[in-house]
Amino acid sequence: MKVITGVVGNDVHVVANRLIDISLNQRGFEVFNLGVNTYLEEFIDAVVETDADVVLISSLNGEAEGWSRDLPILKGKYSLKDVTFVIGGNLAVGEVASEVIVPKYKAYGFDLVFHQIDLNDGLDTLEAFLKEKN
Amino acid sequence: MDLLQREREAIVNNEYIDHFDFDEVSSFIKGASKDLFISHKFKNSSDILVQPRGGFPTYDKVFKLYDEFKNSNVDVLPLTIDSNTRLNDYASAKKMLRLSEENDVDMLNGYPLVNHGYRTTRKMITHFNTPVSLRHGTPDARLLTEIALASGIFEIEGGPITYLLPYSKNFPLDKAFIYWKYVEKVCAKYSELNEPINRESFGPLSATMQPPVIVLVIQILEMLLSLEEGVKSFSVSFSQTGSFIQDIVSSNVLKKLARKYADDFGHEDATINLVYHQWMGAFPRNKEHSESLITTSTVIAGLVGADKIITKTKEEAFGIPTKEANASAVSNVKYTLGILKGLPLVRDAEEEENLTNEVDEIMQAVFNDPADTLWRKVFNAIKKGHIEIPFSPHIINNNKVITVRDKAGNIRIYDKGDLPLSEKSFAYERSKLNIAEDKNALVSQIIQDIGIML
Repeated sequence: MKVITGVVGNDVHVVANRLIDISLNQRGFEVFNLGVNTYLEEFIDAVVETDADVVLISSLNGEAEGWSRDLPILKGKYSLKDVTFVIGGNLAVGEVASEVIVPKYKAYGFDLVFHQIDLNDGLDTLEAFLKEKN
Repeated sequence: MDLLQREREAIVNNEYIDHFDFDEVSSFIKGASKDLFISHKFKNSSDILVQPRGGFPTYDKVFKLYDEFKNSNVDVLPLTIDSNTRLNDYASAKKMLRLSEENDVDMLNGYPLVNHGYRTTRKMITHFNTPVSLRHGTPDARLLTEIALASGIFEIEGGPITYLLPYSKNFPLDKAFIYWKYVEKVCAKYSELNEPINRESFGPLSATMQPPVIVLVIQILEMLLSLEEGVKSFSVSFSQTGSFIQDIVSSNVLKKLARKYADDFGHEDATINLVYHQWMGAFPRNKEHSESLITTSTVIAGLVGADKIITKTKEEAFGIPTKEANASAVSNVKYTLGILKGLPLVRDAEEEENLTNEVDEIMQAVFNDPADTLWRKVFNAIKKGHIEIPFSPHIINNNKVITVRDKAGNIRIYDKGDLPLSEKSFAYERSKLNIAEDKNALVSQIIQDIGIML
């Protein structure tokens, strides 16, 4: 299964990005890592180019929300119905509860939302979700 | 007029600086006090020189910081440059400097040297009459270097690899090599006038799980690229790995091989110094623990026989430290170094042999590239993944090498990616590791290994 991953916005958290890359590879995914400082449009371009099954966006500096608002528009432009959208990391500026964050991001069009969740737990959930879906 | 001088004229002809007077700058450097040259201090001191980190937007705040440092008996002053200047965005730096001056709030994370200019900055540098080291992270540091040298800052940190791959996603690497060639040439030219200008490479790289072989290869290559342009005083550096013995082995092999490669390339007359960076990874939030970590780093600097140590502060986990915290760190380190007596000479023949072999294997692969110049060989080596920096954000970085710690805390190569290591060397690395086959175990261990000081 093909996964596009990267860190959205002007965010240079390269350590987390590389760990996600290694983890996905360990779990047998074919990984296309766009790296840090990636614009939302670039994720969508990569899906179209590679025919990926999953987009896994990460964000640590709190600017994900600003970028995610454009996701419904971009999803509408292409037919990406079969693509699973996942976002994880630190999804708010300051302390905000998951109960507030998760519904917000689901409304933007993410299938799975991981706010301050352990990397392996998140990826376990993703694998279970994909198994169910197919 | 020679080509270099024509390029220099073009570089200093910049709307953000006042007229640059080459003749005046040359005569300033020619007559400058020897005390401003770290190369002179290295030659005449057997102590480990202590250099903190630091820089503020305004002249006044840097002046006060230096005052504070001098009270703590600092040996080398730092001048850390703001991130706008690092990206050659002098317009934003100018605006933020004005706001910082008007509102007494720091709107920049360092000193915008280009905007302040050399005439102003030189007053401060000559007032303190202490060597100053330029700390930045700039791929195109041509103008910055001109202004620094004209200000009396006679140590320039950085290099085409070490100031690019850990800092940038897509600044072109080939351009960085060309721009740094200019920096080396200008440093070499001024080195003929007085004491040598010292160049220093940035060994910590991305400061995350860097295997010693990568650090050493990059240190030696940046040294060779600098010496071939005529630089006569160069500092190689590395940062605390998290294992005492790995630091000692790294130091012993780096000292030996840097000298050997410099001599092999005909640079017997160049002085090579060793710089040790206190822990560059994530710091504990507990300030007592931070102080303990800093003291431990200082002991290792003594054990490895560094010529200079670059310090951290107990406020590291919380952002840019206050000048008081910074000065107290200097005082702590100076005290610790002063009481370190009768340090043992430690060696580990087996580890040193393996690291020496690894470095030689990668160096040989670099030299075997058919390109006509050393910088092109190095450029190709990075493109091929013969050299890569774990956890670099740059698009040219190969991102295949995986490192983990062994039971003793040594950083080992788990996956060598495309590094041209021999089977024997790689087998040695793997023989030290015992990783469970569970798909989650590797990543969990890496996360733990990164955060060992927390």
